[in-house]
Amino acid sequence: MTPILFLILLFASVPIAFVLALTALWYIYDSGNLVLYDSYAQQIFSGVENYGLLAIPLFILTGELMNEGGMTQRLVRAARVFVGGFRGGLAYINLLANMFMAAIIGSAASQIAVMSRAMVPAMTKEGYDPGFSAATTAAGGLLAPVIPPSMLFVIYGVLAQLPIGDLFIAGIIPGLIMAAAFFVVVALIGLAQDFPAGEWMTLTQAARALRDALPAFLIPLAIVGGILFGIATPTESAAVASLIAFAVGWLIYREIDPRDLGRLFVRTATNSSLVIFMIAAANVFGWVVVYEELPQKLAAFISTVTSDPFTFLLIVNACLLFVGMLIDGIAALILVTPILLPIAVNTYGINPFQFGVVISLNLVLGLLTPPVGVGLYIASAMSGVRPFTIFTALWPFLLAVAGVLILLSYFPILSTALI
Amino acid sequence: MLHRASHFWARVEIFLAAALAASITGLILLNVVTRAAGNAIYWVDEAAIYAMVWMSFLAASAAIHYRSAISVTLINEVLPDHARRWLTRFVDLVLFVFACLMVWICLRWFMPWQLMQAGWDVKAFQGQTFNFIYAEPTNTIGIRKVWIWLVMPLFTLGALLHATANLFHPGRAAQVEAAE
Repeated sequence: MTPILFLILLFASVPIAFVLALTALWYIYDSGNLVLYDSYAQQIFSGVENYGLLAIPLFILTGELMNEGGMTQRLVRAARVFVGGFRGGLAYINLLANMFMAAIIGSAASQIAVMSRAMVPAMTKEGYDPGFSAATTAAGGLLAPVIPPSMLFVIYGVLAQLPIGDLFIAGIIPGLIMAAAFFVVVALIGLAQDFPAGEWMTLTQAARALRDALPAFLIPLAIVGGILFGIATPTESAAVASLIAFAVGWLIYREIDPRDLGRLFVRTATNSSLVIFMIAAANVFGWVVVYEELPQKLAAFISTVTSDPFTFLLIVNACLLFVGMLIDGIAALILVTPILLPIAVNTYGINPFQFGVVISLNLVLGLLTPPVGVGLYIASAMSGVRPFTIFTALWPFLLAVAGVLILLSYFPILSTALI
Repeated sequence: MLHRASHFWARVEIFLAAALAASITGLILLNVVTRAAGNAIYWVDEAAIYAMVWMSFLAASAAIHYRSAISVTLINEVLPDHARRWLTRFVDLVLFVFACLMVWICLRWFMPWQLMQAGWDVKAFQGQTFNFIYAEPTNTIGIRKVWIWLVMPLFTLGALLHATANLFHPGRAAQVEAAE
């Protein structure tokens, strides 16, 4: 009965946090373990009483501040210095600027929103196919949750009880591989289509573009550097990054006003609460998972199919691609981590960092696949290109990500080398 | 009337949540500065965590009013208008039931009647109920944890208000409001 109730509520579009909380309430009733009701509210509370989660509002705030503070255009111009002169220059600029942004923003959805607005009109104006422009931008957004900082890694780290700083570092090599794969995809498409010619900047223009973007580069430096050298926790780096973003936007670029801060904090509070409340509810839902021994049962079933970790990861990838198509990536991560992680680590001996990188990247792919591809709709809304048109231009990128996923599943060293 | 009360309370919740978001940023930055100066303040981390929990639950309650929480809208989107309205009403009803259950759960946890019967004497209350909620301390802040836990009944009452108002005020009004 519990699974049926869960599915009915979920597909009746009851908010996911309440689906989790109500399923747990029903399960307690069903199992007769009524004493659990006494600690139910306390359990929800303690689910988010966690230092690591503080990074979520802070990273959201940094993204908002950066958005308002005029850093996006400057990063795009800085990217132009490096790749602007190649044939198809703007497509490469798009990807490179997405890499810079990914080192500041931790969420694919917000990065796709920002970049679609900035890049797609510019690309179509220079004669690129609109579908291709929007698809390149949307694919570039997938770098956000892999290149640190990453909201998904914060959530996975809290659920898996792993150090979030190490998870961030684990994402660096996979993020670079993914970016390289996207550059190859764009180059291959360029062989088939005739991209507009690019133009190199003059030396003075290049120097000015780099100087303008320099303050913006402080942010990734503060985040990654702080964590890499053990100076600050990810939470503290996020706070410092938000302070830098505010100071640069206010004092240097002069595009942000302290009076805007109230509005930004409202958006920060509402957006981060959506995620944190879901994690709170997942904590009581965890009772269902634990008492029903879901991981053990699933493990017993899967281990009759294969004993090979790589095959297991392939099966997980296939299942999660399907899950990611139906459910929001963060919600899906909250749902599947408590079930799949014990199997991956205990039954198959998979490194938890590798597992986190693989499932996070996998679930975020769901942002760009119909029917529930939020990222697709955001890119469409921001760029004015129809979702279907974007999707048809997107498949080479999706194929590339699938390839990267297989690579990451086969070689654990790609995720664990830097830790 | 009920809807206006719900709307007003949602705005209060969002205002408080935003203020708490600001204080989280301030507290963590304070921690960075004081630690760099070799003089870390020990209670800052715990205070920041509680500020975050309060922020999350207050804004989560307001999200019921704005109908803005994340859900799987797969079926919702393919339904004809008429059926979709019924589905939305069903969701409103489910949230109302949840809010009522939370009231009951908070009563089981805080046991206000039993505390009153014990003459507000916490020791006597604990002896009778073996419920130690009023004795639990916080680690570093120096107040009883029950003050922090109060966000749960606050969330519950907010959720109940918004869910009830939504029952009597169906449709897209709240979403339009949020968009504005």
